[in-house]
Amino acid sequence: MDERRRRFEAQALPHLDAAVNLARWLARSPADADDIVQDAMLRAFRAFDGFRGNDAKPWLLAIVRNCWRNQAGDKKRRGHVPLPDEQDAVNDNPIVHDGASPEALAVSADERRKLDGVIATLPEEFREVLVLREMEDLSYREIAEVTGAPVGTVMSRLSRARAMLREKWLGQLEGARHAVS
Amino acid sequence: MPCPDALKVQAYVDGELDSAGAQEVEHHLETCIECSAVKKQIEDTRALMRDKASYYRADPALQGRIQGTLPGKAAPPQEKPRWRWLGGFWTGLTGGSLATAAAAAAAFFLWLAPAADPLVIDVTNAHLRSIASEHLTDVASSDQHTVKPWLAARADVSPPVGDFSSQGFTLVGGRVDFVGGMRTAATVYRHGAHIINVFTWANRRETLPQTSTWNGYHVVFWRRGNLVFCAISDIALNDIQRLSQLLQAEAMPSGRE
Repeated sequence: MDERRRRFEAQALPHLDAAVNLARWLARSPADADDIVQDAMLRAFRAFDGFRGNDAKPWLLAIVRNCWRNQAGDKKRRGHVPLPDEQDAVNDNPIVHDGASPEALAVSADERRKLDGVIATLPEEFREVLVLREMEDLSYREIAEVTGAPVGTVMSRLSRARAMLREKWLGQLEGARHAVS
Repeated sequence: MPCPDALKVQAYVDGELDSAGAQEVEHHLETCIECSAVKKQIEDTRALMRDKASYYRADPALQGRIQGTLPGKAAPPQEKPRWRWLGGFWTGLTGGSLATAAAAAAAFFLWLAPAADPLVIDVTNAHLRSIASEHLTDVASSDQHTVKPWLAARADVSPPVGDFSSQGFTLVGGRVDFVGGMRTAATVYRHGAHIINVFTWANRRETLPQTSTWNGYHVVFWRRGNLVFCAISDIALNDIQRLSQLLQAEAMPSGRE
């Protein structure tokens, strides 16, 4: 048991931030994200002996995603599914990249909040490929592994997701400009 | 040349094409305004996601709760193992569901490279450039005491350099080269008729790809101190690994981190 734990700490735990980031972007609620990650890490630990591979990151993120689906399913059955409206998407207290570049630090909190809101309102299958590709730097094949979608689907979703994000973000900026003038 | 599929341009920006495919798209981009615009848009959304959107990290309370719920004894605290991530070169290929997915999509993404890590492609291209352009060395010398200071003065890092002629690896020289958009020290060795490039750069805490074979070239990565090493050649993989071991046994410059 201790040996498994040692391996788990060396191979899976380093990806805890990635797990939290994905859970948070999927669930859009800090409390739910923490529950999902805690559940996912325990499941991952139990299944760890069956893990064969060099990189535990996609494997772990696939578990996180499953836990999120389970949790979302439970909520639906219990009858409260919060609509992903703007208010819901607003992040109360986002933790910014540490070691962020000076440019990133210069991004105003307001701009970050608005952008987070735009990303949070993208449909989940588009939101997740963006997070996995751009924030977690996964390859197409790894994204396919996490999401269970064929690589071709990953590619077309990613393309759609980028177009949607761009369009919504430009719309947001345009709206802000009108509000000023 | 007709425009490639927009998804192919995207795959290029995402570093998913093999070197031939990447070159083809690059060549096309030089003259095509539309495709350059597609590339620019992808880069813009990437910058939004990476630099402006929130990235959420585990807070210490959650870390503590998870450590507390895992069975077994925690490993004694040590150096944070964050940087020990290894690239998922093979993970993608071993997933069962993925194999099915890949088969279904095979016709569609034939031009995608097999699990190509952008860094592996970049290193391979640098290696091929050095051989094809006959610009193998900026300083040609089999004397490590000539090559090492030359590199130290020009490449931002001072890698260990050794002459392992007796073990079959003759020092040819060194040059400054660019890998991953960054200046690196390239040390060149000869093994029989084959050339081995060893690129060295300062550790940026990046994820390193696994040992891989790309277009017939073996690429081996390792870290030592605050340096990252990457050896590439078309010699046998265990020969490259032997050179890697010899270099790892070579004394590091004093005063390293």
